Amino acid sequence: MTMAFEKSMRQQFADTMLTVGQEDPRLIVLIGDISHFILQPFARACPGRFYNVGICEPTIVGMAAGLAKVGFYPVVHTIAPFIVERSFEQIKLDFCYQQLGGNLVTVGSAFDYANLGCTHHCYGDFALLKTLPHAQITYPASPVEFDALFRQAYTSGVLTLYRVPAHQHGQAFNAEDILLGKGIRVTEGRNLTIVATGPQLRNAMEAGEELKSHGWQAEVLYIHTIQPLDVELIRASVRKTRRALVVEEHMCNGGLGDDVLRATREIPRVQHASLSIPNTFVTGYGTYQDHCETLGLTREGIVRQVRSAFGSPKGEVVWQR
Amino acid sequence: MNKDLRKKIVQMVYNGRDGHIPSAFSIIDILDMLYESYLAHDPKNPSWSQRDYFILSKGHGCVALYVVLQKYGFLAETELEGFCRKGGILGEHPDYTKVPGVEASTGSLGHGLSFAVGVALGLRIRNMANKVYVLVGDGECHEGTVWEAAHVANNLQLGSLCVIVDRNGSAAQLMPRDDLPAKWRAFGWETIVVDGHSAAELRAAFERVNFELRGTPTAIVANTVKGKGVPMLEGHGIWHHRIPSSEEHKLIMEALS
Repeated sequence: MTMAFEKSMRQQFADTMLTVGQEDPRLIVLIGDISHFILQPFARACPGRFYNVGICEPTIVGMAAGLAKVGFYPVVHTIAPFIVERSFEQIKLDFCYQQLGGNLVTVGSAFDYANLGCTHHCYGDFALLKTLPHAQITYPASPVEFDALFRQAYTSGVLTLYRVPAHQHGQAFNAEDILLGKGIRVTEGRNLTIVATGPQLRNAMEAGEELKSHGWQAEVLYIHTIQPLDVELIRASVRKTRRALVVEEHMCNGGLGDDVLRATREIPRVQHASLSIPNTFVTGYGTYQDHCETLGLTREGIVRQVRSAFGSPKGEVVWQR
Repeated sequence: MNKDLRKKIVQMVYNGRDGHIPSAFSIIDILDMLYESYLAHDPKNPSWSQRDYFILSKGHGCVALYVVLQKYGFLAETELEGFCRKGGILGEHPDYTKVPGVEASTGSLGHGLSFAVGVALGLRIRNMANKVYVLVGDGECHEGTVWEAAHVANNLQLGSLCVIVDRNGSAAQLMPRDDLPAKWRAFGWETIVVDGHSAAELRAAFERVNFELRGTPTAIVANTVKGKGVPMLEGHGIWHHRIPSSEEHKLIMEALS
Protein backbone atom coordinates (compact mmCIF):
# COMPACT_ATOMS: atom_id res chain seq x y z
CA MET A 1 0.00 0.00 0.00
CA THR A 2 1.36 3.43 -0.83
CA MET A 3 0.44 6.67 0.80
CA ALA A 4 1.62 10.24 0.72
CA PHE A 5 3.65 11.52 3.66
CA GLU A 6 3.30 15.13 4.56
CA LYS A 7 6.27 15.19 6.88
CA SER A 8 9.66 15.64 5.27
CA MET A 9 12.61 13.48 6.23
CA ARG A 10 14.44 16.50 7.55
CA GLN A 11 11.47 17.45 9.72
CA GLN A 12 11.43 13.92 11.12
CA PHE A 13 15.12 14.27 11.93
CA ALA A 14 14.38 17.47 13.84
CA ASP A 15 11.40 15.90 15.61
CA THR A 16 13.40 12.83 16.62
CA MET A 17 16.20 15.00 17.98
CA LEU A 18 13.64 16.92 20.03
CA THR A 19 11.96 13.89 21.55
CA VAL A 20 15.10 11.81 22.12
CA GLY A 21 16.97 14.87 23.34
CA GLN A 22 14.36 15.51 25.99
CA GLU A 23 14.52 11.89 27.10
CA ASP A 24 18.31 11.58 27.08
CA PRO A 25 20.60 14.36 28.37
CA ARG A 26 23.58 12.69 26.67
CA LEU A 27 22.30 13.51 23.16
CA ILE A 28 24.12 16.47 21.61
CA VAL A 29 23.73 17.89 18.10
CA LEU A 30 26.47 19.57 16.06
CA ILE A 31 25.58 21.02 12.67
CA GLY A 32 27.54 22.53 9.80
CA ASP A 33 25.23 25.46 9.19
CA ILE A 34 22.28 23.62 7.72
CA SER A 35 18.90 22.81 9.30
CA HIS A 36 19.59 25.55 11.85
CA PHE A 37 16.04 26.83 12.03
CA ILE A 38 14.30 23.48 11.92
CA LEU A 39 16.39 22.37 14.92
CA GLN A 40 15.50 25.38 17.08
CA PRO A 41 12.88 23.43 19.07
CA PHE A 42 15.67 21.00 20.05
CA ALA A 43 18.00 23.91 20.84
CA ARG A 44 15.38 25.51 23.09
CA ALA A 45 14.37 22.27 24.79
CA CYS A 46 17.93 21.05 25.30
CA PRO A 47 20.00 24.11 26.18
CA GLY A 48 23.74 23.72 25.84
CA ARG A 49 23.41 20.70 23.57
CA PHE A 50 23.03 22.33 20.16
CA TYR A 51 25.97 23.85 18.32
CA ASN A 52 26.01 25.33 14.85
CA VAL A 53 29.76 25.03 14.50
CA GLY A 54 29.94 26.45 10.98
CA ILE A 55 31.79 25.35 7.89
CA CYS A 56 34.57 23.17 9.29
CA GLU A 57 33.32 19.63 8.91
CA PRO A 58 36.48 17.68 9.82
CA THR A 59 36.69 19.60 13.06
CA ILE A 60 33.00 19.02 13.75
CA VAL A 61 33.54 15.27 13.38
CA GLY A 62 36.66 15.38 15.56
CA MET A 63 34.82 17.42 18.20
CA ALA A 64 31.99 14.92 18.15
CA ALA A 65 34.44 12.10 18.85
CA GLY A 66 35.82 14.10 21.79
CA LEU A 67 32.28 14.51 23.10
CA ALA A 68 31.77 10.76 22.76
CA LYS A 69 34.92 10.18 24.78
CA VAL A 70 33.43 12.04 27.73
CA GLY A 71 30.12 10.19 27.57
CA PHE A 72 27.87 12.03 25.11
CA TYR A 73 25.98 10.60 22.14
CA PRO A 74 26.91 13.08 19.42
CA VAL A 75 24.97 13.72 16.23
CA VAL A 76 26.79 15.42 13.36
CA HIS A 77 24.54 16.81 10.67
CA THR A 78 25.28 18.44 7.36
CA ILE A 79 25.42 17.71 3.62
CA ALA A 80 26.62 14.19 2.83
CA PRO A 81 29.88 14.75 0.92
CA PHE A 82 31.18 17.20 3.49
CA ILE A 83 30.83 14.68 6.28
CA VAL A 84 31.53 11.37 4.59
CA GLU A 85 34.10 12.37 1.99
CA ARG A 86 35.77 15.53 3.31
CA SER A 87 35.91 14.25 6.88
CA PHE A 88 36.51 10.59 6.14
CA GLU A 89 39.78 10.41 8.07
CA GLN A 90 38.15 11.89 11.16
CA ILE A 91 35.39 9.28 10.89
CA LYS A 92 37.95 6.54 10.42
CA LEU A 93 40.45 7.51 13.10
CA ASP A 94 38.64 9.65 15.66
CA PHE A 95 35.56 7.42 15.82
CA CYS A 96 36.13 3.97 14.37
CA TYR A 97 39.78 3.33 15.25
CA GLN A 98 39.18 4.65 18.76
CA GLN A 99 36.00 2.56 19.06
CA LEU A 100 33.86 5.55 19.95
CA GLY A 101 30.18 5.71 19.11
CA GLY A 102 28.57 8.53 17.18
CA ASN A 103 25.91 9.44 14.67
CA LEU A 104 26.27 11.04 11.26
CA VAL A 105 22.98 12.29 9.82
CA THR A 106 23.52 13.36 6.24
CA VAL A 107 21.21 15.07 3.81
CA GLY A 108 21.82 15.37 0.10
CA SER A 109 21.69 11.65 -0.54
CA ALA A 110 23.24 10.61 -3.87
CA PHE A 111 22.17 13.36 -6.32
CA ASP A 112 19.33 14.87 -4.28
CA TYR A 113 20.97 18.27 -4.72
CA ALA A 114 20.43 17.69 -8.40
CA ASN A 115 21.29 21.11 -9.76
CA LEU A 116 24.15 21.82 -7.40
CA GLY A 117 26.45 19.52 -9.32
CA CYS A 118 29.04 16.99 -8.31
CA THR A 119 30.46 19.03 -5.43
CA HIS A 120 27.20 18.41 -3.58
CA HIS A 121 26.53 14.85 -4.72
CA CYS A 122 27.51 11.81 -2.70
CA TYR A 123 27.01 8.36 -4.18
CA GLY A 124 30.09 6.59 -2.85
CA ASP A 125 29.25 6.76 0.84
CA PHE A 126 28.28 3.09 1.26
CA ALA A 127 31.55 2.04 -0.33
CA LEU A 128 33.63 4.34 1.84
CA LEU A 129 32.03 3.45 5.16
CA LYS A 130 31.99 -0.26 4.37
CA THR A 131 35.78 -0.15 4.61
CA LEU A 132 35.55 0.84 8.27
CA PRO A 133 35.32 -1.57 11.17
CA HIS A 134 33.13 -0.29 13.99
CA ALA A 135 30.72 1.43 11.58
CA GLN A 136 27.17 0.77 10.47
CA ILE A 137 25.20 2.26 7.60
CA THR A 138 21.49 2.97 7.50
CA TYR A 139 19.38 4.46 4.71
CA PRO A 140 15.96 5.33 6.10
CA ALA A 141 13.62 6.54 3.35
CA SER A 142 10.50 7.17 5.39
CA PRO A 143 10.05 9.16 8.59
CA VAL A 144 9.07 6.16 10.70
CA GLU A 145 12.25 4.39 9.64
CA PHE A 146 14.49 7.28 10.62
CA ASP A 147 12.92 7.54 14.04
CA ALA A 148 13.04 3.79 14.66
CA LEU A 149 16.57 3.27 13.38
CA PHE A 150 17.94 6.27 15.24
CA ARG A 151 16.44 5.13 18.52
CA GLN A 152 17.90 1.65 18.03
CA ALA A 153 21.35 2.81 16.99
CA TYR A 154 22.30 6.09 18.62
CA THR A 155 23.61 4.56 21.84
CA SER A 156 25.06 1.46 20.19
CA GLY A 157 28.67 2.50 20.72
CA VAL A 158 29.56 2.30 17.05
CA LEU A 159 29.65 4.96 14.37
CA THR A 160 26.31 5.03 12.55
CA LEU A 161 25.58 6.76 9.27
CA TYR A 162 21.99 7.74 8.57
CA ARG A 163 21.81 8.56 4.86
CA VAL A 164 18.66 10.67 4.81
CA PRO A 165 17.19 11.17 1.33
CA ALA A 166 15.00 14.06 0.30
CA HIS A 167 12.55 11.68 -1.36
CA GLN A 168 10.57 8.92 0.28
CA HIS A 169 9.55 5.52 -1.01
CA GLY A 170 5.91 5.91 0.05
CA GLN A 171 5.51 2.56 1.77
CA ALA A 172 3.79 2.64 5.15
CA PHE A 173 5.87 0.54 7.51
CA ASN A 174 5.08 0.06 11.16
CA ALA A 175 7.76 1.21 13.58
CA GLU A 176 7.89 -2.21 15.24
CA ASP A 177 8.77 -3.80 11.90
CA ILE A 178 11.85 -1.61 11.48
CA LEU A 179 14.77 -3.47 13.00
CA LEU A 180 18.36 -2.38 12.63
CA GLY A 181 20.18 -4.90 10.46
CA LYS A 182 17.02 -6.60 9.23
CA GLY A 183 15.58 -6.21 5.75
CA ILE A 184 11.89 -6.38 4.92
CA ARG A 185 10.21 -8.72 2.46
CA VAL A 186 7.65 -6.29 1.05
CA THR A 187 6.10 -8.66 -1.47
CA GLU A 188 6.43 -12.40 -1.92
CA GLY A 189 7.45 -13.70 -5.30
CA ARG A 190 8.58 -16.80 -7.08
CA ASN A 191 10.94 -16.17 -9.97
CA LEU A 192 12.61 -12.78 -9.39
CA THR A 193 14.12 -10.97 -6.41
CA ILE A 194 14.32 -7.20 -6.54
CA VAL A 195 16.51 -5.82 -3.77
CA ALA A 196 15.73 -2.13 -3.35
CA THR A 197 17.13 0.46 -1.00
CA GLY A 198 16.16 4.08 -0.37
CA PRO A 199 13.46 5.88 -2.35
CA GLN A 200 13.88 3.39 -5.21
CA LEU A 201 11.60 1.03 -3.31
CA ARG A 202 8.74 3.00 -4.85
CA ASN A 203 9.91 2.20 -8.39
CA ALA A 204 10.64 -1.39 -7.46
CA MET A 205 7.09 -1.88 -6.21
CA GLU A 206 5.55 -0.31 -9.31
CA ALA A 207 7.83 -2.31 -11.58
CA GLY A 208 6.94 -5.49 -9.74
CA GLU A 209 3.28 -4.84 -10.51
CA GLU A 210 3.96 -4.15 -14.17
CA LEU A 211 6.18 -7.22 -14.52
CA LYS A 212 3.28 -9.45 -13.52
CA SER A 213 1.83 -9.00 -16.98
CA HIS A 214 5.08 -10.39 -18.39
CA GLY A 215 4.93 -13.47 -16.22
CA TRP A 216 7.23 -12.30 -13.45
CA GLN A 217 6.34 -12.77 -9.81
CA ALA A 218 8.77 -10.45 -8.15
CA GLU A 219 9.78 -10.73 -4.52
CA VAL A 220 10.70 -7.23 -3.41
CA LEU A 221 13.15 -6.93 -0.54
CA TYR A 222 13.69 -3.58 1.11
CA ILE A 223 17.05 -2.88 2.72
CA HIS A 224 17.26 0.06 5.14
CA THR A 225 20.44 -1.16 6.82
CA ILE A 226 23.33 -1.55 4.43
CA GLN A 227 25.75 -2.58 7.15
CA PRO A 228 25.23 -4.94 8.88
CA LEU A 229 23.36 -6.43 5.95
CA ASP A 230 20.57 -8.96 6.35
CA VAL A 231 22.26 -11.58 4.20
CA GLU A 232 19.94 -14.36 5.37
CA LEU A 233 16.88 -12.61 3.99
CA ILE A 234 18.61 -12.06 0.65
CA ARG A 235 19.94 -15.62 0.44
CA ALA A 236 16.56 -17.13 1.29
CA SER A 237 14.88 -15.16 -1.47
CA VAL A 238 17.52 -15.73 -4.13
CA ARG A 239 17.70 -19.44 -3.31
CA LYS A 240 14.04 -19.51 -4.34
CA THR A 241 14.03 -17.15 -7.34
CA ARG A 242 17.60 -17.58 -8.70
CA ARG A 243 17.42 -14.09 -10.17
CA ALA A 244 18.47 -10.93 -8.31
CA LEU A 245 18.21 -7.33 -9.43
CA VAL A 246 19.58 -4.67 -7.08
CA VAL A 247 18.27 -1.12 -7.40
CA GLU A 248 20.15 1.64 -5.60
CA GLU A 249 21.13 5.30 -5.82
CA HIS A 250 24.80 4.51 -5.29
CA MET A 251 27.83 3.91 -7.42
CA CYS A 252 27.99 0.42 -8.86
CA ASN A 253 31.45 0.07 -7.30
CA GLY A 254 31.07 -0.75 -3.63
CA GLY A 255 27.31 -0.51 -3.57
CA LEU A 256 24.63 -2.87 -2.30
CA GLY A 257 24.90 -4.82 -5.56
CA ASP A 258 28.38 -5.99 -4.59
CA ASP A 259 27.08 -7.13 -1.22
CA VAL A 260 24.25 -9.10 -2.80
CA LEU A 261 26.71 -10.82 -5.14
CA ARG A 262 28.90 -11.74 -2.19
CA ALA A 263 25.96 -12.89 -0.10
CA THR A 264 24.66 -15.20 -2.80
CA ARG A 265 27.89 -16.53 -4.29
CA GLU A 266 27.38 -19.99 -2.78
CA ILE A 267 23.98 -20.40 -4.41
CA PRO A 268 24.31 -22.18 -7.79
CA ARG A 269 22.85 -20.90 -11.06
CA VAL A 270 21.91 -17.38 -10.00
CA GLN A 271 21.55 -14.55 -12.49
CA HIS A 272 22.46 -11.10 -11.18
CA ALA A 273 21.77 -7.61 -12.48
CA SER A 274 22.20 -4.15 -11.09
CA LEU A 275 20.62 -0.75 -11.58
CA SER A 276 22.89 1.81 -10.02
CA ILE A 277 25.10 4.75 -10.89
CA PRO A 278 27.84 3.71 -13.28
CA ASN A 279 31.43 4.57 -12.45
CA THR A 280 31.07 8.15 -13.58
CA PHE A 281 30.17 11.58 -12.21
CA VAL A 282 26.59 12.71 -12.69
CA THR A 283 27.46 15.95 -14.43
CA GLY A 284 24.09 16.87 -15.90
CA TYR A 285 21.58 19.33 -14.45
CA GLY A 286 17.87 19.14 -13.90
CA THR A 287 15.72 17.68 -11.17
CA TYR A 288 16.23 14.60 -9.05
CA GLN A 289 13.68 12.91 -11.29
CA ASP A 290 15.63 13.95 -14.38
CA HIS A 291 18.76 12.27 -13.02
CA CYS A 292 16.76 9.13 -12.16
CA GLU A 293 15.42 8.97 -15.70
CA THR A 294 18.86 9.44 -17.23
CA LEU A 295 20.23 6.63 -15.09
CA GLY A 296 17.27 4.31 -15.60
CA LEU A 297 16.33 4.47 -11.93
CA THR A 298 12.63 4.44 -12.72
CA ARG A 299 9.77 1.98 -12.94
CA GLU A 300 10.34 1.68 -16.68
CA GLY A 301 14.07 1.32 -16.19
CA ILE A 302 13.61 -1.56 -13.79
CA VAL A 303 11.20 -3.35 -16.13
CA ARG A 304 13.63 -2.84 -19.00
CA GLN A 305 16.55 -4.12 -16.96
CA VAL A 306 14.67 -7.24 -15.85
CA ARG A 307 13.70 -8.10 -19.39
CA SER A 308 17.12 -7.45 -20.89
CA ALA A 309 19.09 -9.17 -18.13
CA PHE A 310 16.85 -12.14 -17.45
CA GLY A 311 14.86 -12.56 -20.68
CA SER A 312 11.70 -14.51 -20.19
CA PRO A 313 10.47 -15.96 -16.90
CA LYS A 314 9.15 -19.07 -18.66
CA GLY A 315 10.71 -22.35 -17.75
CA GLU A 316 13.92 -22.97 -15.86
CA VAL A 317 16.56 -20.35 -15.28
CA VAL A 318 19.24 -20.61 -17.94
CA TRP A 319 22.51 -19.88 -16.24
CA GLN A 320 25.01 -18.15 -18.42
CA ARG A 321 28.63 -17.54 -17.68
CA MET B 1 66.81 18.95 31.00
CA ASN B 2 65.97 15.40 32.00
CA LYS B 3 68.81 13.11 30.97
CA ASP B 4 67.41 9.92 32.51
CA LEU B 5 64.20 10.09 30.52
CA ARG B 6 66.20 10.87 27.38
CA LYS B 7 68.31 7.77 27.96
CA LYS B 8 65.15 5.68 28.29
CA ILE B 9 63.84 7.12 25.04
CA VAL B 10 67.05 6.20 23.23
CA GLN B 11 67.08 2.73 24.73
CA MET B 12 63.47 2.09 23.66
CA VAL B 13 64.13 3.21 20.11
CA TYR B 14 67.40 1.25 19.97
CA ASN B 15 65.73 -1.94 21.23
CA GLY B 16 62.51 -1.53 19.26
CA ARG B 17 64.38 -0.55 16.07
CA ASP B 18 61.86 2.19 15.42
CA GLY B 19 60.80 5.61 16.72
CA HIS B 20 61.48 9.34 16.48
CA ILE B 21 64.18 10.32 18.98
CA PRO B 22 64.55 14.05 18.17
CA SER B 23 60.78 14.63 18.21
CA ALA B 24 60.59 12.99 21.63
CA PHE B 25 63.56 14.95 22.97
CA SER B 26 61.98 18.28 22.08
CA ILE B 27 58.91 17.61 24.25
CA ILE B 28 60.19 15.44 27.08
CA ASP B 29 60.91 18.31 29.48
CA ILE B 30 57.41 19.70 28.93
CA LEU B 31 55.72 16.36 29.53
CA ASP B 32 57.75 15.57 32.63
CA MET B 33 56.85 18.90 34.23
CA LEU B 34 53.20 18.56 33.27
CA TYR B 35 52.85 15.12 34.86
CA GLU B 36 54.98 16.06 37.85
CA SER B 37 53.24 19.29 38.82
CA TYR B 38 50.21 20.29 36.81
CA LEU B 39 48.21 17.34 35.50
CA ALA B 40 45.81 15.67 37.93
CA HIS B 41 46.11 11.94 37.32
CA ASP B 42 45.78 8.60 39.05
CA PRO B 43 47.82 5.77 37.54
CA LYS B 44 45.80 3.23 39.53
CA ASN B 45 42.64 4.56 37.90
CA PRO B 46 43.53 6.10 34.53
CA SER B 47 39.86 6.88 33.80
CA TRP B 48 39.39 8.73 37.13
CA SER B 49 36.60 11.23 36.51
CA GLN B 50 38.48 14.11 38.15
CA ARG B 51 41.63 13.68 36.07
CA ASP B 52 42.97 16.29 33.73
CA TYR B 53 43.37 15.29 30.10
CA PHE B 54 46.59 15.30 28.14
CA ILE B 55 46.34 14.64 24.41
CA LEU B 56 49.54 14.19 22.44
CA SER B 57 48.38 15.37 19.04
CA LYS B 58 51.84 14.97 17.50
CA GLY B 59 51.65 11.25 18.03
CA HIS B 60 55.10 10.52 16.60
CA GLY B 61 56.60 11.98 19.79
CA CYS B 62 54.97 9.17 21.76
CA VAL B 63 58.15 7.60 23.09
CA ALA B 64 58.43 10.67 25.33
CA LEU B 65 54.88 10.06 26.53
CA TYR B 66 55.58 6.36 27.16
CA VAL B 67 58.62 7.01 29.36
CA VAL B 68 56.69 9.66 31.30
CA LEU B 69 53.72 7.31 31.76
CA GLN B 70 56.16 4.71 33.06
CA LYS B 71 57.81 7.21 35.41
CA TYR B 72 54.45 8.21 36.89
CA GLY B 73 53.16 4.65 37.30
CA PHE B 74 50.85 4.02 34.34
CA LEU B 75 53.16 1.54 32.65
CA ALA B 76 55.50 -1.17 33.86
CA GLU B 77 59.13 -1.19 32.81
CA THR B 78 58.43 -4.42 30.93
CA GLU B 79 55.89 -2.60 28.74
CA LEU B 80 58.64 -0.25 27.56
CA GLU B 81 60.73 -3.26 26.60
CA GLY B 82 57.92 -4.40 24.31
CA PHE B 83 57.98 -1.19 22.27
CA CYS B 84 57.31 -1.98 18.60
CA ARG B 85 57.48 -5.71 19.28
CA LYS B 86 54.91 -8.34 18.48
CA GLY B 87 52.53 -8.66 21.41
CA GLY B 88 53.51 -5.29 22.89
CA ILE B 89 51.04 -2.47 23.52
CA LEU B 90 53.36 0.39 22.59
CA GLY B 91 53.68 1.29 18.94
CA GLU B 92 55.19 4.19 17.10
CA HIS B 93 51.98 6.12 17.57
CA PRO B 94 49.91 5.86 20.75
CA ASP B 95 46.75 3.74 20.84
CA TYR B 96 44.19 4.84 23.38
CA THR B 97 42.48 1.46 23.34
CA LYS B 98 45.71 -0.27 24.48
CA VAL B 99 47.82 2.06 26.59
CA PRO B 100 46.73 3.13 30.09
CA GLY B 101 46.97 6.90 30.43
CA VAL B 102 46.81 7.62 26.70
CA GLU B 103 43.70 9.72 26.04
CA ALA B 104 43.59 9.66 22.23
CA SER B 105 44.96 7.54 19.41
CA THR B 106 46.98 9.98 17.37
CA GLY B 107 49.46 9.88 14.54
CA SER B 108 47.74 11.51 11.61
CA LEU B 109 48.48 15.16 12.34
CA GLY B 110 45.76 17.72 12.84
CA HIS B 111 43.30 15.55 14.76
CA GLY B 112 44.13 16.10 18.42
CA LEU B 113 42.96 19.66 18.88
CA SER B 114 39.51 19.13 17.35
CA PHE B 115 39.10 16.05 19.53
CA ALA B 116 40.21 18.03 22.57
CA VAL B 117 37.71 20.79 21.78
CA GLY B 118 34.99 18.14 22.03
CA VAL B 119 36.40 16.82 25.30
CA ALA B 120 36.59 20.33 26.81
CA LEU B 121 33.10 21.22 25.60
CA GLY B 122 31.64 18.00 26.98
CA LEU B 123 33.25 18.54 30.36
CA ARG B 124 31.97 22.10 30.50
CA ILE B 125 28.43 21.03 29.67
CA ARG B 126 28.67 18.83 32.77
CA ASN B 127 30.15 21.75 34.71
CA MET B 128 33.33 19.79 35.32
CA ALA B 129 36.54 21.76 35.76
CA ASN B 130 39.01 19.17 34.44
CA LYS B 131 41.82 20.81 32.50
CA VAL B 132 42.49 19.73 28.92
CA TYR B 133 46.04 20.01 27.60
CA VAL B 134 46.93 19.29 23.98
CA LEU B 135 50.44 19.20 22.58
CA VAL B 136 50.75 19.96 18.87
CA GLY B 137 53.83 20.21 16.71
CA ASP B 138 54.76 23.37 14.85
CA GLY B 139 54.82 21.36 11.62
CA GLU B 140 51.39 20.06 12.57
CA CYS B 141 50.22 23.67 12.60
CA HIS B 142 50.36 23.52 8.81
CA GLU B 143 47.20 21.41 9.02
CA GLY B 144 44.05 23.45 8.44
CA THR B 145 42.10 21.53 11.05
CA VAL B 146 44.35 22.99 13.78
CA TRP B 147 43.06 26.44 12.87
CA GLU B 148 39.47 25.30 12.44
CA ALA B 149 39.63 23.96 15.97
CA ALA B 150 41.45 27.03 17.30
CA HIS B 151 38.71 29.20 15.84
CA VAL B 152 35.94 27.07 17.32
CA ALA B 153 37.60 26.85 20.76
CA ASN B 154 37.88 30.62 21.03
CA ASN B 155 34.31 31.17 19.88
CA LEU B 156 33.02 28.62 22.38
CA GLN B 157 35.24 30.24 25.03
CA LEU B 158 36.77 26.96 26.10
CA GLY B 159 38.98 28.38 28.83
CA SER B 160 39.82 24.94 30.20
CA LEU B 161 41.77 24.21 27.04
CA CYS B 162 45.54 24.75 26.91
CA VAL B 163 47.51 24.05 23.76
CA ILE B 164 51.26 23.58 23.95
CA VAL B 165 52.98 24.14 20.63
CA ASP B 166 56.26 22.26 20.30
CA ARG B 167 58.01 24.88 18.20
CA ASN B 168 61.08 22.86 17.37
CA GLY B 169 61.59 24.44 13.98
CA SER B 170 60.15 21.67 11.83
CA ALA B 171 57.67 24.10 10.31
CA ALA B 172 60.14 26.90 9.66
CA GLN B 173 62.53 24.72 7.68
CA LEU B 174 59.74 24.31 5.11
CA MET B 175 57.72 27.51 5.44
CA PRO B 176 59.89 30.15 7.10
CA ARG B 177 57.49 33.07 6.65
CA ASP B 178 55.49 32.24 9.74
CA ASP B 179 54.80 33.79 13.13
CA LEU B 180 53.12 31.17 15.26
CA PRO B 181 52.59 33.28 18.41
CA ALA B 182 50.97 36.01 16.28
CA LYS B 183 48.72 33.41 14.67
CA TRP B 184 47.46 32.06 17.99
CA ARG B 185 46.90 35.61 19.21
CA ALA B 186 45.05 36.42 15.98
CA PHE B 187 42.76 33.46 16.65
CA GLY B 188 41.94 35.04 20.01
CA TRP B 189 44.00 32.78 22.25
CA GLU B 190 45.93 33.97 25.29
CA THR B 191 49.44 33.25 24.05
CA ILE B 192 52.59 32.71 26.07
CA VAL B 193 56.02 32.13 24.55
CA VAL B 194 58.58 30.19 26.58
CA ASP B 195 61.80 28.25 26.33
CA GLY B 196 60.46 24.71 26.27
CA HIS B 197 63.54 23.33 27.97
CA SER B 198 63.58 25.85 30.82
CA ALA B 199 61.91 24.51 33.94
CA ALA B 200 61.45 28.00 35.32
CA GLU B 201 59.83 29.38 32.18
CA LEU B 202 57.58 26.34 31.73
CA ARG B 203 56.50 26.53 35.37
CA ALA B 204 55.72 30.22 35.05
CA ALA B 205 53.71 29.60 31.90
CA PHE B 206 51.64 26.74 33.32
CA GLU B 207 50.86 28.84 36.39
CA ARG B 208 49.67 31.73 34.25
CA VAL B 209 46.92 29.68 32.61
CA ASN B 210 43.54 30.63 34.06
CA PHE B 211 41.58 27.52 33.16
CA GLU B 212 38.27 29.32 33.50
CA LEU B 213 35.41 27.08 32.50
CA ARG B 214 34.18 29.82 30.19
CA GLY B 215 37.10 31.97 29.15
CA THR B 216 39.89 32.47 26.70
CA PRO B 217 41.82 29.33 25.78
CA THR B 218 45.59 29.46 26.17
CA ALA B 219 48.42 28.60 23.80
CA ILE B 220 51.88 28.08 25.21
CA VAL B 221 54.32 28.33 22.32
CA ALA B 222 57.33 26.43 23.57
CA ASN B 223 60.55 27.14 21.71
CA THR B 224 62.34 23.83 21.69
CA VAL B 225 65.23 22.10 19.98
CA LYS B 226 64.65 18.93 18.06
CA GLY B 227 66.98 16.33 19.57
CA LYS B 228 67.76 18.64 22.51
CA GLY B 229 70.52 17.35 24.73
CA VAL B 230 72.68 15.43 22.26
CA PRO B 231 74.46 17.64 19.73
CA MET B 232 74.64 14.95 17.05
CA LEU B 233 70.83 14.56 17.15
CA GLU B 234 69.93 18.23 17.20
CA GLY B 235 68.38 19.98 14.21
CA HIS B 236 66.60 18.69 11.14
CA GLY B 237 68.95 16.28 9.52
CA ILE B 238 68.88 12.55 9.12
CA TRP B 239 67.96 11.77 12.70
CA HIS B 240 64.21 12.47 12.46
CA HIS B 241 63.40 8.79 12.05
CA ARG B 242 66.84 7.16 12.27
CA ILE B 243 67.69 4.23 14.51
CA PRO B 244 71.13 4.43 16.13
CA SER B 245 73.73 1.82 15.29
CA SER B 246 75.51 0.23 18.25
CA GLU B 247 78.34 2.75 17.92
CA GLU B 248 75.92 5.69 17.66
CA HIS B 249 73.95 4.35 20.59
CA LYS B 250 77.13 4.35 22.66
CA LEU B 251 77.95 7.92 21.64
CA ILE B 252 74.46 9.17 22.45
CA MET B 253 74.45 7.51 25.85
CA GLU B 254 77.86 9.01 26.61
CA ALA B 255 76.57 12.45 25.66
CA LEU B 256 73.72 12.00 28.13
CA SER B 257 75.96 10.86 30.98
